[in-house]
Amino acid sequence: MIAPPEISWMAIAPDLALAVGAALVLLVDVQWKPLPRVLGWVVGVTLAVVTGLTVLQWLEGTDAAAAGDTGSLMAFSGMITMDGFTVFSRLALITATALGVTGGWRFVAGLGRRGAEALALVLLATAGFSLMVASNNLIMMFLGLEVGSIALYVLAGLARERRESEEAAIKYFLLGSFASALFVYGVALIYAGTRQFEILEIRHYLGNFIVTNPAVIYVGLGLVIAGLGFKVSAAPFHAWAPDVYQGAPAGLVGYMAAVAKVAGFAAIARILLTALPELEATWLPVVAGISVLSMLLGSVLALVQGDVRRLLAYSGVAHAGFIMTGVVGGSTEAILFYLAIYSIQLIGAFAVVSVVSGPDAAGSSLDRYRGLGRRSPVLASSFAVLLLGMGGLPLTSGFVAKFGVFTEAWARGYEWLVIVAVVASVLAFAFYIRVIVVMYMDDDGEEESPRVGPEGWVLAVAVGTTILWGIFPSSLLDLAADALPL
Amino acid sequence: MLTALVLLPAISAVIVALVPSRRREIHLPLGIALSVMPLALAGYLFSVFEPSPGFQYIDRVAWYEPWGIDWFLGVDGISLPMVALTALFVPIALAASTSITMRRKEFVVSTLLLEAGLIGAFLALDLFLFFVFFEAMLIPMYFIIGIWGSERRVYAAVKFFIYTAFGSALMLAAIIGLALIHATEEGFASFALTDLVGLDLSVGAERWLFAAFAIAFAIKVPLFPFHTWLPDAHVEAPTAGSVMLAAVLLKLGTYGLLRFNLALFPETSVDAVPIMAALAVVGIIYGAVVAIVQPDLKKLVAYSSVSHLGFIVLGTFALTSGGLQGAVIQNVNHGLTTGALFLLVGMIYDRRHTKKIADFGGLQKTVPLLAGFFLFMTFASIGLPGLNGFVGEFLVLIGSFPTLPSPTIVAAFGVVLAAIYLLWAYERVFTGVPDKEENRVLSDLSPREISVLAPLAVLVLVIGLYPNLLLDKITPSTEAVLDHIEEQTDFVIPERGRLDGVFVAEGSG
Repeated sequence: MIAPPEISWMAIAPDLALAVGAALVLLVDVQWKPLPRVLGWVVGVTLAVVTGLTVLQWLEGTDAAAAGDTGSLMAFSGMITMDGFTVFSRLALITATALGVTGGWRFVAGLGRRGAEALALVLLATAGFSLMVASNNLIMMFLGLEVGSIALYVLAGLARERRESEEAAIKYFLLGSFASALFVYGVALIYAGTRQFEILEIRHYLGNFIVTNPAVIYVGLGLVIAGLGFKVSAAPFHAWAPDVYQGAPAGLVGYMAAVAKVAGFAAIARILLTALPELEATWLPVVAGISVLSMLLGSVLALVQGDVRRLLAYSGVAHAGFIMTGVVGGSTEAILFYLAIYSIQLIGAFAVVSVVSGPDAAGSSLDRYRGLGRRSPVLASSFAVLLLGMGGLPLTSGFVAKFGVFTEAWARGYEWLVIVAVVASVLAFAFYIRVIVVMYMDDDGEEESPRVGPEGWVLAVAVGTTILWGIFPSSLLDLAADALPL
Repeated sequence: MLTALVLLPAISAVIVALVPSRRREIHLPLGIALSVMPLALAGYLFSVFEPSPGFQYIDRVAWYEPWGIDWFLGVDGISLPMVALTALFVPIALAASTSITMRRKEFVVSTLLLEAGLIGAFLALDLFLFFVFFEAMLIPMYFIIGIWGSERRVYAAVKFFIYTAFGSALMLAAIIGLALIHATEEGFASFALTDLVGLDLSVGAERWLFAAFAIAFAIKVPLFPFHTWLPDAHVEAPTAGSVMLAAVLLKLGTYGLLRFNLALFPETSVDAVPIMAALAVVGIIYGAVVAIVQPDLKKLVAYSSVSHLGFIVLGTFALTSGGLQGAVIQNVNHGLTTGALFLLVGMIYDRRHTKKIADFGGLQKTVPLLAGFFLFMTFASIGLPGLNGFVGEFLVLIGSFPTLPSPTIVAAFGVVLAAIYLLWAYERVFTGVPDKEENRVLSDLSPREISVLAPLAVLVLVIGLYPNLLLDKITPSTEAVLDHIEEQTDFVIPERGRLDGVFVAEGSG
């Protein structure tokens, strides 16, 4: 007689709530055909509930960890964890979702009856990624990845009247599913080598047994890194990013890019740092190589872009490289801090893009920013702060983030990587500065000043946190330092 | 008190920013009035500062404990003159900027933020904090050049930014390295200068770290061959920008070499003397020769900067009492005279809208006061005895001779060349008959312009006649740097102490 498994509803409550919220949006829409604003409230309430549940998990988890009772942080026979790492990543995802929906509100409202689809897809994507960051099991991780990614493919094509949007969706879908396939094949090979799917069990196995055929695990490891590298747009797996960033609806691109990066890097960190620390000697050089390639390629290619969205895409490649230095450094604190502040800044930057070139437009030529500093000083100065924050200027949170990952990498003995990284940061400055030059130092340009809608809230939050955490980073850093994986 | 000195300009910037943009007439006067407060505070600090080797008025609060980062400010005889100089030049630069009419509010805000960054960098004793200020001030300066500059302003601004950002990026890596070495040796991470000077570095590590710091500061100074951004930045920047750049910003480089390179890496500093001295001397001669042939008055002053700053670096790496004292005092002198010369060039430009030397001639007749001030500052810059430039250059040369005889002899020719390019420029611009119609109708200095220049002229004279005013405060700190080097290395510093005794008698007599 097999006892029915005990179901710890609390462990999956946030993910469930997100999925229920998505269903609710669709049902309410079908039943009452309400104004988009009502659906917005449904999303808002869902996110508030999820935040509450996540904070509850955090509090419980801290108590359990303090009592030394790590077992209670596991649920579903070790498939799901509620450790600090999960909670912090999930909070980052929720923040990204809230900011993303607010910033993309004009796009969603402009979709008319299809607005509900967009909102439901956003919640579903968040639910998937939230499951992904919580999973202690490679299969669960794959499921979360797929739920999230498929929702994102559809979101990329939502502005289907435009060719660019369709192109973006198809490209994202084809390359993304290819990446997912690589990932799942890698998972299979790791299983073949260790007979385990569970992160902690894999570590246990590798720590206690001699693997007779390590090559299988190595190949699996490589495939997993490649698959997740696609998701976070690290070079050389970044080819889709510029087209998707450029073609997908402006209002939602920031959200799409941010959640994919947060979840992707959370998975990378969990697999490499928690499951496979024994194989460090094998993956450290690979990750360092990806890091260097991403930083240099991203920065150099961003320099020559004439479109702000492509520029942000390539800078995203560079940022993937910077975060990889944190993976090399092996510190989840530095990685999580970087992810949290970068995702907020990225969504803020895309909110500006969506204000300047319209929420459903494709592309955002640099020419449209000419003289923006004169036409709309507040918008331009917010954008400037965000760009400098992403560039990593001191007194912005971006600097603290870069400083954190660089320090960890240096402490690991990867001094050369840090030197490459600081040089790449200067290159990064060069292209962020280019946008600022266009905004402030070129005087000709259009006369009309763009109208700021709900994006203003996103900008206020993004600029506020960029400066606040730049000057007083301890509030967020302390949280990130507590957010350890099991 | 030091925290207030850093925060006052920043708060002032916020106050000015809150004034509505359409009240154009009050931004500048308000900015000047607000910037007098840090000046008063700096003056008070100068008067109560007791000469002693260590740091005083220390403010230390943990910023982020786990990483060992502190808000750590302190002042000593090396940073004190720099802080005073910064506080002095901000109201002057603002008062000289009435010709800026476009986006005046943003201009005042940028200048005040620049001041906060500069004072912060001079006072910071935590390397992380220093880096924050060092880097953060790039942005206001970048905007000052890029928005209010002349035709090629964007090019100059970007060049300035990228050059300096590149240098400081390497320094950031070095700072991280130092803190981690401290963490391994002492068990806890620290960025405090006072903790890091005691580190026992391996020779290889010390070389690399020294190089990273030295390149960052050499770009800032700028030392030959990293100087190419400077003429562009100076020529394109508005008058206030050039003044702040020459008078204060560049001093961060020379200050950094003295404060960080010598203190943190004594062994390598001793080993690097030949290289640094060679670069300094090349800079002195090269800057002077290039200055001679400049057709543009502002560019001429810019290249004279390259030349004069070479003296400071030479004095620093002479590693003698006189050399270091000369370097610090020359920091101040160069700030005063070159700052004043840029102000004067700006005033000429406001009248004639040209900076080409060939467009002038005979201005002495039409603007005698302006010509008088120009000649006075020229003499100070050349090093006429009785004026401040003499004190600094003489100390540097006499201090450098015992350890670096041949570079010093070559450098001495720089003084002669300075006389050539400056006096020749004066001759072409101011003497003779005003043969061009435009030059005959110029108005002389207004009371506002005189009030901008007069304090500088007074200081030039005071320091020239009574250098002890500064030397008394500087000497204990420079001696402490030399003590530290003697302790850490087997380098023997010749003729400690005796030299300044001789000189003080001469300078004050």
